[in-house]
Amino acid sequence: MEYLQFIIIILFSPLIQGFIRKLKANMQGRVGPGVFQPYYDLVRLLHKDMVVSGITSWIFKATPYIVFASTAAAAIIVPVITTSYRFGMMGDVIALIYLFGLGRFFMALSGLDAGTAFGGEGSSREMTVTILVEPMMMLSIFTAAISAGSTNMARIAETQSIAYSPSHILALSAFMVAIIAETGRIPVDNPDTHLELTMIHEGMVLEYSGRYLALMEWSHYMKQMLLFTIVTDIFFPLGISTTLGISSLGISAALYFIKMFCISVFMALVESTRSKMRFFQLPSLLGGAFVLAVLSLLTYIMMGK
Amino acid sequence: MKSWIQVFSIIDFISVGILLTAIAMNAFRRLESYLRAYILNSWLLSLLIAIVAFMIGETHLYIASVTTLLSKGIIIPLLLKKIVRQMAITYDDEPYISTALSLTISGILVAVVYTSLSEGIFVIGFSKHVLQISIAVILIGLFIMITRKKAITQVIGLLCMENGLFLAGFSLTFGMPIIIELGVLFDMLMGVIILGIFSIQIKRAFASADLDKLTILKG
Repeated sequence: MEYLQFIIIILFSPLIQGFIRKLKANMQGRVGPGVFQPYYDLVRLLHKDMVVSGITSWIFKATPYIVFASTAAAAIIVPVITTSYRFGMMGDVIALIYLFGLGRFFMALSGLDAGTAFGGEGSSREMTVTILVEPMMMLSIFTAAISAGSTNMARIAETQSIAYSPSHILALSAFMVAIIAETGRIPVDNPDTHLELTMIHEGMVLEYSGRYLALMEWSHYMKQMLLFTIVTDIFFPLGISTTLGISSLGISAALYFIKMFCISVFMALVESTRSKMRFFQLPSLLGGAFVLAVLSLLTYIMMGK
Repeated sequence: MKSWIQVFSIIDFISVGILLTAIAMNAFRRLESYLRAYILNSWLLSLLIAIVAFMIGETHLYIASVTTLLSKGIIIPLLLKKIVRQMAITYDDEPYISTALSLTISGILVAVVYTSLSEGIFVIGFSKHVLQISIAVILIGLFIMITRKKAITQVIGLLCMENGLFLAGFSLTFGMPIIIELGVLFDMLMGVIILGIFSIQIKRAFASADLDKLTILKG
């Protein structure tokens, strides 16, 4: 049974997306679509026919499956509600980050593959953001990994204590900025519009339709929930079950959903109160967050906690 | 009773906060946020001294904390705000290097300080980290003075350096004698007033607050 905890991420990730959208709409004084809207969208897209451009190669057709599979594989090695499972031995945080990298690489290729200007634009922007975000994410995870003495996600989640030190807070703030950039949320990218001049993620998936688009969107939701799960595992692992007892699993699952709720509220708040940055201003935001990540590692090494 | 200071590592948090606000001064272009980062830096410095005073129970550290708060946290910022308003500038728009680069360089400065002061004979005060952070703040203040163009931003860089020096002296000796501290604070106050008058005069004479323009000879 414990091997099936990644199913939680696959099943509930559209709900998180719908919840954030609903919260955002309420904060802006709108009613907004219901929280189950992403599910309806996915079902509708899965039933629709596809239009595939004649000049595309196999990359275009393979990408949705590769992106979905790599995100699901990343979900398998992350402890969701229990740290006692054997799939954790398959990979650590480094494998996790490169599974994301694999999906992102093929997504950028598929953006270029159809030969439209917007796809290429989206791909080039995504890669620019990635080279700033990836090292930042690595450094902030490494701060937690050094203090846990292991790069295995389950071990990190087990050894993290409640007594926070400055290095953890710095790493957490850098990681939150990395999540905002990775999930394409507002200071970096606007997830709601198809406005040509600003889109990053939407630009790359612009040529997709029907079943392929459903897979791409679903893996985007999964990646978002997965990143939230990594935050809770690394920085707020309070209450995560270390055994397989039914009661501890229940408590852990309840706490997990409360944590997801809090992170979703935080994300909706950030999206509602910030405005989108100009693309060429992004390096100063991401550079600042990168310095935070470097400082967290340095502070850890200096203070030893 | 005083163990909660150790348990929640409050001194570490505040000293890292002092470092962060110093680095944030590098990132801000708007004078208002720049000034706010400096004010926060001074308040955190005063808070740190107050907490150490509480921890070891020294009366003269309390006085040092209060004088720091009054002079660096309230009087000097008010003066600076007045000067900024009189000069009618809101931006330091063209510093010598970009925000991202100056953030990176200040990160490197911190790394250099941490590695070069990791061990040595300095460790006689209450905390090794505080000494390292204070040296890093001094270097960052110096870096701000090098990279900014406006006279007023350079003055705030100097004040940031002074905060670092104060912290360094405090972490090594538990505070200098009160008479010296008062003298230094008074000197700083005078310095800020004089430099403020200078920068207003520069603005009036050259129609610009950039110090670059001072290299042009006038007959």
